Amino acid sequence: MTEFQLKILTPEGIVYEGKAESVIVRTTVGDKGILARHEPYVAALGIGQAKIRIEGNVRIAAISSGIIDVTPECTSILAQSFEWADEIDLERAEKAKALAEERIKQAKEDKKQLDIAEYKLKRAINRINVATKK
Amino acid sequence: MASGNMKDIKRRVKSVESTMQITKAMQLVASSKLRKAKARAEEARPFFEAQYSLMCRIAAETEKLSSVFSHRCEVNKRLFIVIAGDRGLAGGYNSNILKLAQNAMEKDEQPYIIAIGKKSVEYFTKRNYPIAASYTDIAERIKTADAADIAQIAIDMYTSGKVDEIRLFFTQFVSPLVQTATDMEVLPIDSLPSGEAVRYNKVGTTYDPSPDAVFNRIIPKLITSLIMCAVGESYASELGARRTSMENATDNAEEMIATLSLMYNRARQEKITNELNEIVSGANAL
Repeated sequence: MTEFQLKILTPEGIVYEGKAESVIVRTTVGDKGILARHEPYVAALGIGQAKIRIEGNVRIAAISSGIIDVTPECTSILAQSFEWADEIDLERAEKAKALAEERIKQAKEDKKQLDIAEYKLKRAINRINVATKK
Repeated sequence: MASGNMKDIKRRVKSVESTMQITKAMQLVASSKLRKAKARAEEARPFFEAQYSLMCRIAAETEKLSSVFSHRCEVNKRLFIVIAGDRGLAGGYNSNILKLAQNAMEKDEQPYIIAIGKKSVEYFTKRNYPIAASYTDIAERIKTADAADIAQIAIDMYTSGKVDEIRLFFTQFVSPLVQTATDMEVLPIDSLPSGEAVRYNKVGTTYDPSPDAVFNRIIPKLITSLIMCAVGESYASELGARRTSMENATDNAEEMIATLSLMYNRARQEKITNELNEIVSGANAL
């Protein structure tokens, strides 16, 4: 398969920089596949999984909100967090999930707290899904 | 007289020594914290730069599009997000950034301010500026939620028409010795520098599902991480500045102690010589 340059960045640093064969990410409007020589494209990413094919192997990762930016030179994924399935700390994710559920129960009135807790819950569930799927 | 002088000098040496202990400790703390903060700031930089250049590119391409984040015909009120430290004793770090911000807002009749860091809050409260929001003690370990909070307040003010321009003041960490106070324009997006953009213009980027929808989702994210990175950079700068100034203070204290001990030894010698003289002349008189 034709390869293209892929860069995955998070606030914690560069996660991946190199060649890839295909990228599937969950945008806010649905899953989107990127192959080599894709047209310039920008979309927001929701919480979800990404499938990235590097040298014939498909790797799965958990993304929580970000941006995908496809240009002729390079495809960049700018994510708030990006974790490969085999690097996810399942125990921590389970704990985060339990904590978030607890918070949702407590924060009935407070809209802002509820939003944050729900966001955290979604993230935790996503990470658990990705980690257990491999 | 000589012995009184000696006592004074001794007291001064002691006080300088205890000051030196403090500055030395602060220097060590700052340099160990700096290492961590520097690593974090440097890790975040590629992300920051990629986002910023993406933002510039979108801005350049939006001339034909209309978005709530595009330029307004008249800029009446401006919002300033000013990031300074939570603590003093960091050389010129706080005053540099605060002065830069103050100069920039001179022309404005009533600028709005989001103050980050205790020093920034204190500075603007003292000068009776309207503070839209203030955050203290968040710099050491800035969370996405905090940054998102700040970004949301700023964006709400912008979209509701309360302000027409948003500027971000932070200190760029160039090296442990060099930090530059920086003034960056955040919104409206089309006044960003757009040198890189021209290249992709002919191709025409697809925004999924629509430019407006992508914009409204992407821009808060961009601003959130911009703030996060700016706080990280500023915090590393603060520690760098503190380390340098504390190192200077320690050096100065060492120099002072050396001078004072010389003075002390001279006084001591003088006293002994005097005493000897007295004994000798006393013996002669017998």
